Amino acid sequence: MTTTTAQTRFIRPCTAVWLVLVALTGVTYTVGELHLGGLSAVGFVLLTTLVKGQLVVDWFMGLRRVRLFWRVVLFLWLAAVGASIAGAYLLGLQ
Amino acid sequence: MNANLMELEAPIRPVREREGLPGDFAIWIFILAELLVFGIFFIAYAFARSGHVELFNTSQLLLDRTSGAINTLVLITSSYFVVRAVAAIRENRNRLCARWLGAAILLGFVFLGIKSFEFYTKFSEGITLSTNTFYMFYLSLTFFHFMHVILGMVILAVVMVKARQGGYSRDDHTGVETGASYWHMVDLVWIILFPLVYVIR
Repeated sequence: MTTTTAQTRFIRPCTAVWLVLVALTGVTYTVGELHLGGLSAVGFVLLTTLVKGQLVVDWFMGLRRVRLFWRVVLFLWLAAVGASIAGAYLLGLQ
Repeated sequence: MNANLMELEAPIRPVREREGLPGDFAIWIFILAELLVFGIFFIAYAFARSGHVELFNTSQLLLDRTSGAINTLVLITSSYFVVRAVAAIRENRNRLCARWLGAAILLGFVFLGIKSFEFYTKFSEGITLSTNTFYMFYLSLTFFHFMHVILGMVILAVVMVKARQGGYSRDDHTGVETGASYWHMVDLVWIILFPLVYVIR
């Protein structure tokens, strides 16, 4: 379909990704400004962080175009760090 | 093969069939090592916090979250400019590539300026590494990242100078991708650092 070619696209995919990253940063900042804490707020912030991280990996670093292995390596790093932070947060609640 | 033929053939090459990582493979070993170190640093922060929740929460209130958020936007935008620089060189546009890199470096300076102001404010309040565990982590983590921003800017500057001299092309721009990959890593690390240190409570 012609609407998917670079000439007819409304904005470049990387520009759309940048806008999403900006919006998600705004969301994280708002959570901080509202001083929201607790498991659900922290879970939400960590989830948006993982989404942001994977967007950077896939679209900015360009790993969506390479062998899946590398994408998985970076995803595992993000997931391991995110899960550890969540685990440590739970530990702090006790 | 003459240059005209190459121009005609290049767009036919399917980009999606690429297997290798963008840029030099060695930079990816470096990036993974850096991510490992930062990852351990983040996890150490998170577990240190679990033992001193009150201290971390009250100390965190004194941070300038707005500066942290602005710096997040600055790095994300700078990373985006680098994506545009890579896109430009894939179209054989060296000067445009150099301009996008220049803009990315400029935002790097903005990041350093804002962060330096944050450091200055904390130091003038008498806060040091030994003030408490939170500030030990806050200052060392953000300073460690600060040094990586400087290194990333140096790498981008070297690439920019070469691009200005017409040193890359659509078929030979590994250097641009190498610098870009490192810069995105610096951005990726901050994307986690910001919520971890400034927001999560």
